[in-house]
Amino acid sequence: MPQTDSTVRTRPISLPRLLKGKNLGVVLAILFFAAYPLVITSPFYVQIIIRVFVYAIAAQAWNIIGGYAGQVSLCQAVFFGMGAFTSAYLMVHYDIIPWIGLIAGAILSMVLAVIIGFPTFRLVGRYFAIATMGLGEIAQIIVLNTSLLGGAVGIWLPVLPDSFKYMQFHKSKLPYYYIAFVIAIATYAAVAWLEKSKIGYYLRAIKADQQAAESLGIDSRKYKLIAFMISAAITGIIGGFYANYVLVVDPFSVLPRSFSSMLLLMSVIGGVGTLWGPLYGAAIVMPLTELTRGFLGAGGRGLDVMIYAILIIIIILFEPQGIQGVIKRVKVRLAR
Amino acid sequence: MDLLVLDKVTKTFEGIEANKEVSITVREHEIVGLIGPNGAGKTTLFSCISGSKPPTSGKVFFRGEDITGTRPDVVCKKGIARTFQIVKTFAGMTVLENVMIGALNNTGSPRVAREQALEVLNFTGLYPKRDLEAGQITLVDKKRVELARALATRPQLLMLDEVCAGLHPNERGEAVLLIEKIREQGYTVFIIEHVMDVLMPISDRIVVLNYGAKIAEGTPEEVAGNPLVRKAYLGERYGEKYSAIR
Amino acid sequence: MLTVIQVALTGLLTGFAYALIAAGLNFIYGIMGLINFSHGASLMLSMYFAYWAWALFGIDPIFMIPINALLLAVIGVGIYKGGARRVINSSFLSQAVLTFGIASLFVSGAQFLWETNFRLVDAQILEGGITVGPFEFGLPHLGASVVCALAFGILYWFINKTEMGRVIQAVSEDRQAAALMGIDTERVFTLGWAIGLACVGVAGAVVTTFFPVFPTVGDRFVLYSFVAVVLGGFGSVSGAFIGGLVVGIIENVAGVFVLPAMKMAIVYALFFITLLVRPMGLFGRY
Repeated sequence: MPQTDSTVRTRPISLPRLLKGKNLGVVLAILFFAAYPLVITSPFYVQIIIRVFVYAIAAQAWNIIGGYAGQVSLCQAVFFGMGAFTSAYLMVHYDIIPWIGLIAGAILSMVLAVIIGFPTFRLVGRYFAIATMGLGEIAQIIVLNTSLLGGAVGIWLPVLPDSFKYMQFHKSKLPYYYIAFVIAIATYAAVAWLEKSKIGYYLRAIKADQQAAESLGIDSRKYKLIAFMISAAITGIIGGFYANYVLVVDPFSVLPRSFSSMLLLMSVIGGVGTLWGPLYGAAIVMPLTELTRGFLGAGGRGLDVMIYAILIIIIILFEPQGIQGVIKRVKVRLAR
Repeated sequence: MDLLVLDKVTKTFEGIEANKEVSITVREHEIVGLIGPNGAGKTTLFSCISGSKPPTSGKVFFRGEDITGTRPDVVCKKGIARTFQIVKTFAGMTVLENVMIGALNNTGSPRVAREQALEVLNFTGLYPKRDLEAGQITLVDKKRVELARALATRPQLLMLDEVCAGLHPNERGEAVLLIEKIREQGYTVFIIEHVMDVLMPISDRIVVLNYGAKIAEGTPEEVAGNPLVRKAYLGERYGEKYSAIR
Repeated sequence: MLTVIQVALTGLLTGFAYALIAAGLNFIYGIMGLINFSHGASLMLSMYFAYWAWALFGIDPIFMIPINALLLAVIGVGIYKGGARRVINSSFLSQAVLTFGIASLFVSGAQFLWETNFRLVDAQILEGGITVGPFEFGLPHLGASVVCALAFGILYWFINKTEMGRVIQAVSEDRQAAALMGIDTERVFTLGWAIGLACVGVAGAVVTTFFPVFPTVGDRFVLYSFVAVVLGGFGSVSGAFIGGLVVGIIENVAGVFVLPAMKMAIVYALFFITLLVRPMGLFGRY
């Protein structure tokens, strides 16, 4: 019986291997992003990448439940908002430092995920999607009407002098950049591990054919819940980060209608159900949005979304695997 | 021991009785065949046992335990694995990965699952095809992958649903050998089949369904010689052929 | 008590609109198993057509009803031929992404072309109110519900009493068998989209008589129509219709007891409970 197998990687990590092929790309990307703000110092362009990180993380979180497990979640905004509001609320009312606030937000998001998922995951996939669809709407309305959370005005975090403890940096935005960067690395590393783990295999099986998966001993509801909880936790954490980054948390900015579908869009453009898809998607969509908004202003309202809409329609019709699919095809072509 | 006992299992769908009070016993290490014309309720019976379509009435016992209506994944954990009549391999994954999913029933480590899966692939003759994408292989291979995948869960009872469909007459001998090998490993096999060349030589007993009810049961010769069965299903040719030998 | 009944009845009127929209949604789903997430955005387009016809040419929304039905039917066919037909046999994700993409396109297009202000038709043929016993109803509102009920009646008659309707039922039941019997499923699917969106065309025209128009107006209607479909059961057009009526009533009655803004939350709660307790709805098949 041969010991090595092409399908599953089992060899240990070592430096020479780290610099080969795909891994080289990852290392270079990490170096690039690490060096970026030191080279491109303009705050505008640094902030764009911070937003890219935020969306890349949130899109990857969506990808876990939507891409790998195949359960289309349309309520990710709720987890984002949960994380943001929790962190802000705890900070303003109980003086709890953001680092703990982030964890609290993640936990509450996980609880919410269980509440939503438990009844809906035993139904066919589309029910879950529809169930989550309304949740985002409802959440915004509920928050708008809850004075505890500041209603329409939201919660404004106090502007404090620069401190790591309170996650506030004003002289330079660099610390925010690197915090987001670290969270991004952690998220993608976690998903990379998940892909090769038993959970990852089971999620893919559930997505491919739930009935067959169950016949092989897979408790589909349990694994969907696990995926959903992880997704919610990550989204909650980045929501909390966002709150401390912009220092204003209101129902319109952290619970926007379009948030969940944006994540879906990014993941599909980049390659749904793949490790790097969400990053590619975010890296393309975010800068485009920021740039159109920056240069076209109000006159360009809706234009960027129109471009994405057309893009995603083309993609889903002709290359459902997104950019990754296109890359694969090009590789196959070149190999000939 | 009596591994699987069905006691008057009935399944009704909107007025249609797909299974009518079917009672069957499968003993350990047996190979029991389940035959009957299309629509007789064979696959429905499998679904009743595996939990994907719980029976309307009646009971299913496995190793003495009442598993009627238990969820499919729990049924698998208890030791029953099945394949599907309409093949359900996991597209987008390789043959090896498909079988690994089965093996992950026994372990939490994909590494260990891979080892187990490779063994099963070797056992079933699929080793050379392990890296092919499961959606792109032939139907015959897909059925074999399903079999391997189910086997990888290390069940006690293996329920096969028409795994020999589409087999070339030359390939049927191989299938017979494989199922015998499976029994030698200690598995019990409950098999739905239309391909008599495979079923007749290896079954210890055969159960015949027609219109949802059991109409006959016995050794292959007994069943082949049964005029009721012959009338409903086998046709004179097989009846003659198999009454003579064994 | 009387207020509750009044409110319930008013809700019932709006419910007819929800019902027609939901019927259209379910019609498409029943035939080809595809959930059309762009249904609400299409409604929005229909409303804008009616609005601009009135704002630019002074055409009363009543006259736009048949025109809108036609326009939306054409759009429906366009959506089908342009893309939906390719994802009919694909995963739910692909279908969702496509229809979401179409919805996004419509909404952002509307935002770009017509800005996000609320538009209201405020001078029409059918104006004022009518009093029936102790209850008052807005005439446009009443007219709208009558039209929707009529439209549904036509749809129902079409499905159940015509040859084509039976063909459609066959395709909904078992696509393969229908194809084997020589039915041109392609034509049926196209017709499905045409009719499904024609419903939205009619609904859009009438809703414009009492509801403001803005790019994201479709969101709330689509949510309600999904609730209606779940209540009535996927696959049952009449079920969806009844579901729509129920949604209308509950929405308005809820408005008596909670803040108007929370009405949606109540409807959603109802929706969630239905999913838990009886996911196949009242008449559903799935």
